[in-house]
Amino acid sequence: MKDLKHLYYLENLLQENNNELVRQAREQGRKCVGTVCYQIPEVLLNLPGCFSVRMRAPRTSSMEMGTYYMTSLTCEYCRALLERGLEGGFQFLDCLFDPASCSQMADCAENIEKLELCTAPGFFAQHVDTPMKDDENGVSHMVNMCRVRVLQKLHEAFGVDVSDEAILKAVELHNEVCGLITELGRYRAELRPRITGYEFSVFCLATYCCPKDLLLPILRETAEELKTREPDEKPPYRIRVAVAGAEIDDPDFIKLIEDTGAYVAVDRYCFGSFPGRQRIELDTESGEDLLTQICRKYVAECQCPRYMNTSKVASRKAYIDRLAREYSCDGVILQQINFCNFWGYERAGAAHVLTTDYSWPVLSIDRPYTVGMSGQIRTRVQAFIERVELKKMGGNR
Amino acid sequence: MKYYGGCDVGSTYTKAVILDENGKIVAHTTLHSKINPERSARLAMEDVLKQANLGSESDLTYLIGTGYGRNKVPFADENISEISCHAMGVHVTDPTVRAIIDIGGQDVKGIAVDTDGTVKNFAMNDKCAAGTGRFYEAMARSFEMSLEEFSNLSLSAKNVIPITAQCTVFAESEVISLVGEGKPMDEVAAGIQMAVAKRCFVMAKKAGAATSIALTGGCAKNAGLKKAIEQVLHLKVIELKTDPQLMGALGAAEYARRKAKR
Repeated sequence: MKDLKHLYYLENLLQENNNELVRQAREQGRKCVGTVCYQIPEVLLNLPGCFSVRMRAPRTSSMEMGTYYMTSLTCEYCRALLERGLEGGFQFLDCLFDPASCSQMADCAENIEKLELCTAPGFFAQHVDTPMKDDENGVSHMVNMCRVRVLQKLHEAFGVDVSDEAILKAVELHNEVCGLITELGRYRAELRPRITGYEFSVFCLATYCCPKDLLLPILRETAEELKTREPDEKPPYRIRVAVAGAEIDDPDFIKLIEDTGAYVAVDRYCFGSFPGRQRIELDTESGEDLLTQICRKYVAECQCPRYMNTSKVASRKAYIDRLAREYSCDGVILQQINFCNFWGYERAGAAHVLTTDYSWPVLSIDRPYTVGMSGQIRTRVQAFIERVELKKMGGNR
Repeated sequence: MKYYGGCDVGSTYTKAVILDENGKIVAHTTLHSKINPERSARLAMEDVLKQANLGSESDLTYLIGTGYGRNKVPFADENISEISCHAMGVHVTDPTVRAIIDIGGQDVKGIAVDTDGTVKNFAMNDKCAAGTGRFYEAMARSFEMSLEEFSNLSLSAKNVIPITAQCTVFAESEVISLVGEGKPMDEVAAGIQMAVAKRCFVMAKKAGAATSIALTGGCAKNAGLKKAIEQVLHLKVIELKTDPQLMGALGAAEYARRKAKR
């Protein structure tokens, strides 16, 4: 296929947290809000006057310093972020919101704050607890957290407008971005797809890591470009897979899977599009305040194993099954980062349930934070492809 | 007669097998891998082609590369992962085998084999060199023995001295200390074999091993390890009729034979 016009630009942009678009937004006087988790509604961090950046540590090598502070038995994503902070990579942040519900991430954020790794005047790290159940108590808890620890804090610290008008404006921007990303992502359902899973992951990741308004022209132009993009006559893939699990902020992982012969037709991981890139529909006539409506949506759609009520546990597997069917997948790759508490348990259970109850071939991977060049992961993926392909030829799934 | 090749470029050894159209092994070789995987593949193929009285790789109807250097076999028609190839290699050697532990130079794999020789499931342990061929090389070096001498050493042990270090480097210094303290070398060796057998436990379970298991890879020739696995895992180790180190290359050649037939 012909290269997408903006792909190379975005690939380069994603090599840095403090990228060109982030710098541009800061020069406009907007506050840069660091975030690490879907569960703190992104739309609240993108009110007029501020914008969010999902924190990453691209090109991580050793994590010696992060390991010193957090020990070697903690999630590599958290350690990599602390390492990047110690290297001076988060100086551009004006504040940071983390989910207190993930103790390892809270530990990372606390270290970033206590070690004074972000030197912007008035920098603060705010821990926001998130619910464990998707019931009304959970919604109410989340509303309180977001009101006090997000909106109030942003208003007090930076004078951010947190009125309903400001929220509606942020939702409008969010919805336009999500609409475009959904449009791009839907092409993956085609059997001769006009966008690769890797390309999609780059565009999707950029929406988390750049000011949305500044990215919009690129997304709009790409959506137009894709309408007439001619797919390869014979796609170079042997099977189609869904990739699910813990956070993936390195598109090279998706590239590795696709280079080995499996088309990544759909994503269900943190920093992906399911969930995260769905529109927020607000009913201004209902009488319910906007914050509650937003929080209810996030609680209902969240797929994090942090939610431990039985119905949510079961629905997570059903959700992967539904996506994998909708995008005509042949198998599921379930992955987690080493020492991720939540996904460690979830992966073991989900691998079993998806295999036995839903009859999916599953590749279950416990992986390091950076995998782009990993020969061992490549071998696993290739063996999985061969296994699925041979069973497919035999008429079995 | 048509001939089919399999070339398994491993991290420590490179193996090659040529099959005739009936699936009979007509040539095989095992060489120390060179730093350049392409060169390793060339040397191994030169050897087997010579044994089979064939002129060059083009005399093979189909050739498949496997092993960690599978992408670097320049003359291969395609490459297949060593996991699939080991399963197929064992299947053509003994179709009754359903579970394999492959102990290679740098990783350990548990493979569940389906009735048709395809992979049913697999698990890999590649976090560190402990329990792999590299580990045994380091241990044999500590004992100032060849690998073969070391693998037989534990067979005469009356007792087992456990090795507490998991890391290859630390285990090597622990072994040197134990031998320096005057502990019987065969008992220290038995401790090493038990440590590796324990590392195989999870892989064997994941491969679904219930009563028996086949060992493949270079370490499968280690008599002390076989004994330790039988004792620790309570599994019967199935003796393969063909050199277990050749299973990857044999499986690749068998896949080549089947693919060319289609």
